[in-house]
Amino acid sequence: MSYEMIALLMFSTMMVMLLTGQRVFGAIGFVAAGAALLLWGTGGSEMAFSASMKLMKWYPLLTLPLFIFMGYMLSESGIAEDLYKMFHVWMGPLPGGLAVGTIGLMVIISAMNGLSVAGMAIGATIALPELLRRGYDKIMVTGVIQAGSSLGILVPPSVVLVLYGMIARQPVGKLWLGGVFPGLILAAMFIAYIVIRCKMQPNLGPALPKEERDMPMSEKLKLLRAGILPLIIFFLMTGLFLMGVTSLVESSAVGAASAMGAAAIKGLLNKQLIESTVRKTLGISCMFMWIILAALCFGAVFDGLGAVRAIRTLFLDDLGLGPWEILIMMQLSYILMGMFLDDTAMLVIVAPLFIPLVGSLGFDLIWYGVLYTITCQIAYMTPPFGYNLFLMRAMAPPTISLIDIYRSVVPFVAIMVLGLALVTIFPELATWLPEKVYAR
Amino acid sequence: MPNAITAFVRYVNVMNRHVGTIAMYLIFVMMGILLYSSISKTFFTPSIWTLEMAQFVMVAYYLLGGGYSMQLDAHVRMDLFYGSWSPKTRMLMDCFTVLLLIFYLFMLLYGGISSTEYALKYGEQSYSAWAPQMAPIKIIMCIGIFLMLLQAIAAFFHDLGRLRGVDILTGEDIG
Amino acid sequence: AGKPIKWRLQTYAGAALAEHVIKPSIDAFNKAANGEMEIELYFADQLVPTGELFRAMQRGTIDAVQSDDDSIAAPVDVSVFGGYFPFASRYSLDVPALFNHWGLKEIWEEAYNEVEGVTWLSAGAWDPCHFATKDPINSLADLKGKRVFTFPTAGRFLSRFGVVPVTLPWEDIEVAMQTGELDGIAWSGITEDYTVGWADVTNYFLTNNISGAWAGSYFANSERWDELPEHLKTLFKLCMDSSHYYRQHWYWAGEAKLRTQGTKMKLTSIPDEEWATVEAEAHKFWDEIAAKSDRNARVVKILKDYNASMDKAGRPYRYS
Ligand code: NA
Ligand code: NA
Repeated sequence: MSYEMIALLMFSTMMVMLLTGQRVFGAIGFVAAGAALLLWGTGGSEMAFSASMKLMKWYPLLTLPLFIFMGYMLSESGIAEDLYKMFHVWMGPLPGGLAVGTIGLMVIISAMNGLSVAGMAIGATIALPELLRRGYDKIMVTGVIQAGSSLGILVPPSVVLVLYGMIARQPVGKLWLGGVFPGLILAAMFIAYIVIRCKMQPNLGPALPKEERDMPMSEKLKLLRAGILPLIIFFLMTGLFLMGVTSLVESSAVGAASAMGAAAIKGLLNKQLIESTVRKTLGISCMFMWIILAALCFGAVFDGLGAVRAIRTLFLDDLGLGPWEILIMMQLSYILMGMFLDDTAMLVIVAPLFIPLVGSLGFDLIWYGVLYTITCQIAYMTPPFGYNLFLMRAMAPPTISLIDIYRSVVPFVAIMVLGLALVTIFPELATWLPEKVYAR
Repeated sequence: MPNAITAFVRYVNVMNRHVGTIAMYLIFVMMGILLYSSISKTFFTPSIWTLEMAQFVMVAYYLLGGGYSMQLDAHVRMDLFYGSWSPKTRMLMDCFTVLLLIFYLFMLLYGGISSTEYALKYGEQSYSAWAPQMAPIKIIMCIGIFLMLLQAIAAFFHDLGRLRGVDILTGEDIG
Repeated sequence: AGKPIKWRLQTYAGAALAEHVIKPSIDAFNKAANGEMEIELYFADQLVPTGELFRAMQRGTIDAVQSDDDSIAAPVDVSVFGGYFPFASRYSLDVPALFNHWGLKEIWEEAYNEVEGVTWLSAGAWDPCHFATKDPINSLADLKGKRVFTFPTAGRFLSRFGVVPVTLPWEDIEVAMQTGELDGIAWSGITEDYTVGWADVTNYFLTNNISGAWAGSYFANSERWDELPEHLKTLFKLCMDSSHYYRQHWYWAGEAKLRTQGTKMKLTSIPDEEWATVEAEAHKFWDEIAAKSDRNARVVKILKDYNASMDKAGRPYRYS
């Protein structure tokens, strides 16, 4: 069988398997193990397990369960409530102000955690009920929470950028700094959209009534103290890491412990909370790890059967494209795949193929990492497959239907594509800060 | 459903729930090792074993926790079509595709056993200066994979039972 | 002609390094094999993680491997001598001299004949082993507490001087230096530091080396090897030799050139008298290893005899 045939066969079988609705890791793992057995020969029979040893040695994956734990802990720690009250009062007078405040909240949560799970949990449990109670449009707020929480992987720390960094062999510190401005820009664009939209249609996001925001300035200032604890957590985790005091995996443990500390300070830490947090962490961690396990096997089998070569030739020689055309093709194929595929699987399977290509075409891999991450954010929100969609569906009240959730992402995905285009056209948005900091 | 199968499904569920409930606390072990690592590195001399040990715990965590995570229904599915099917269609499809999942887990176990055999036969040590024996962690990995395999088989019977109108787990008649 | 024979060969070197140390010879092999055989080259951890490589070769997942015995934890007693056995060699020519003329080849054949499924084919030399670090090293005391990526056996030896050896996948080293998992690397000479990008993430290069040349081998799945027709076996031997030869001059030229003209790393040294204590410790280490098996004792004896003979021969083998 030709390499092209193998590539096509493996990908299409995987697509079909995914469409059957079997668990993603099972669908990917089956195709990988099956192809190895059929096409590799007897030696292929151990590729599935071999991937588990690869996973074991991939040390940054240690950050994954710890960040997940931290996310859940944060959402229960009471930090988010305080922050939300602060934004609530300060942004309330604005039309759509609570939604704007929610984005602010999400940015701060993002700066404390490397995934979007934390933001989703906090958004759905704290912000969503409040916004609905205040008469905000349900489609608008559903979108706000999904988009805002997706910043978790762009604003440092970021697990996605860690995994990308391992594959692209780029410094994680630089990648994280690269995500700062694009993350803030995206947040600003979300806010601009909310404000403009609510100016035009005030019924989507009514401003707080006067009596509710009448509060002496001293009270208002006091609320700002809600920001202290997050600042400390950010310093302990990301600050110490960037200063070189803690290593990457250590910093995730520090983060997890500090989130627990925060809950303890607030007097919320108890046996029941610990147990439920630990259980949720196990569920999500296992989901990710088993997908990565299967995807690592898929990637190695795909590679060992020569399919990677076929794709490389296709892009570099057969299509006869220039560097920019190839780059845009890749981004488009990522966005397309992101609709249907899990982004971690996508990273493990596709990135080892694309990233060396991008590098050999002379593009900056820090910049590309940021582009990649924004694409993942889009993938989280585009139906039919997206983590934020799933989480939202699991956590949203019954008044919000699946169709509402799907419709809610449309404007935000459009904004993210715009942001993606911006960073593509102006690479300095991503590269300026890391170069400045690391120029010493 | 024959009694033996019912007993099997229930037994597997209980066992994986217990194993998973223990495994989920391994997160604190990971955290502890890494915190110890950063403290000892900052104030004393770094230890030779922390990173590798943390990796071992991570692997034990998600493999031993696998079966329980399946019970918690934590594993995402692509539900473009699946989501819109009737429960009956879903079960039917699951009954078939879970066999493919079982195949994958079987291959995983097959490789695991082979690799463990090697580790035992040659006294394989990790290729690090710490050089721990590899057999213990590989055995734990095989156990985790085996438990996941059992859980998948139990899921198959569970779906099959429900298709025929009985929920094996609750004993309820849902025909 | 029929279908070409296809082999998967995984080297333990990463892509950037393999570009030099093996790829040209494999490309040449494929060309000369004229469609009868094709070897597909894979890099560090690409198909199978390095720790599983020996087993994978035994089972036929991988057909052939290029690595030191130490890194793939080959299940033979002599695997400790692969990679950088401390102070075993001074120059890279020592390695082929020892294997081809002092009897190591026969010992290796004997050892691997006891392991089923894998055939040891040939050993060759690579570069010397130096430290590349973030912070300067001017004395043995500076080594204390440094987390250093190195080979297993070299690591065990270096831990006597307070070094904390760390083993990670090769491709992850550059990032691990940046994520703070590592303080330094004791894995290669300066040629590699520059070639693979480590010179960009470290600042200092220590001119003292714990070994003059790395020793690494080619291995194959026995069944795959035995079924090759004679002329392809011969061609593969030529291919290995061509790779060995290329490394001899590439490293030799590179080490001197980059020390004198390189701009990315500052050179530091530990004074000779102080470094002599490391060498003395290495000889103790040798005796400990020799005590582990009769075969190890034979290897250590050969190393001792060889070095004594070099001393006696004088210039250009030894200058002091
Ligand atoms: Na973040
Ligand atoms: Na998607």
